[in-house]
Amino acid sequence: MLRFDATQLVLRHAGDSPIVGNLGPTSDELYHAGHRDRNFYTYGSMGLCSSIALGMALSTDDKVISLDGDGSLLMNLGAIATIGRENPSNLVVVVWDNEMWGQTGGQDSHTATNTNLEEVANSCGITKTATVNDLETLEEAFGRAMREPGPWFIVAKIEEADEYMPVAPVEPEFTLYRFRNTYAG
Amino acid sequence: MPWAETIVDTLKKWDTSLIAYVPDISIDRVTSIINEDPFFHLVSCTREEEAVGVAVGSYAVGRNAAVFMQSSGFGNSINGIASLCLPARTPIPIFMNLRGQVGEFNIAQVAMGRNTTPILDLFGIAHYTIESEDRMDTLLDGVMKLCHAHRNPVAICMTPMLHGGKIA
Repeated sequence: MLRFDATQLVLRHAGDSPIVGNLGPTSDELYHAGHRDRNFYTYGSMGLCSSIALGMALSTDDKVISLDGDGSLLMNLGAIATIGRENPSNLVVVVWDNEMWGQTGGQDSHTATNTNLEEVANSCGITKTATVNDLETLEEAFGRAMREPGPWFIVAKIEEADEYMPVAPVEPEFTLYRFRNTYAG
Repeated sequence: MPWAETIVDTLKKWDTSLIAYVPDISIDRVTSIINEDPFFHLVSCTREEEAVGVAVGSYAVGRNAAVFMQSSGFGNSINGIASLCLPARTPIPIFMNLRGQVGEFNIAQVAMGRNTTPILDLFGIAHYTIESEDRMDTLLDGVMKLCHAHRNPVAICMTPMLHGGKIA
């Protein structure tokens, strides 16, 4: 499963829900799959994608979607514990898990060996979880996550495409302004 | 008014109701009041950088947020502040217990504590060190006004002269 195809699938089911994109290719592909006002692209702050989404979920009734990555989440595993503690029913975390640090040379991440992020989430009290390997099972899990109370934690095993897409032509201050205007008007 | 109540009143005046924090004994007087007050949602985080992310997410959907930490935790949160709060311009007030000041008993707290305000200066983040309750309400109100006008983080550094310090 390629991340871009999976991102398109997420967008088809997302409605008006905010989507927080992890830094790098996840945000770039989110932009190319479908730029929208409620896409919150990140550019740095590695590890904070799902923490940002948690802050949103605690402050709006909308379903909030985090498109995180295995390497990034490994940098801030405590975020999963905080999500488990806060238990927001409207948060959907999707982890694009390519089992590597894709942008730094493709070195194996810890999910390539002994770390199972779904089990980490379970151990933090998050019970609505899934690990999916193809678009069909992703659609089933993500569709449920958008319909049913969570928090949801979906690990989507992906492959890297041969080439990265162009960097999204967006910038942080305008991203926040555009996104926030859909709430604060 | 006692310093802890002044902070709580200022947060309410500025409609800042999501507080993300990592516990600290010296500012527990504030966060324990916040925890009991239904106006607020207090989010306990595992690390200070995580608290920065939670606060930015809340602000992004229109609810003002603040973070509480001690200066050692500021060290843990610098990349989040530098690569999220500054480029996106988020008005997040950072309330911190400034360690490494007079009365510090722990050598391991001195370097980060004493370098906190110089690091804030390097990033161009406005910061105010508070050592007394005198006119604290006026100062905090002005700090919050600046924070939102500039749409950037500000740091409110509270020393043991204000809060009595950590009990050794």
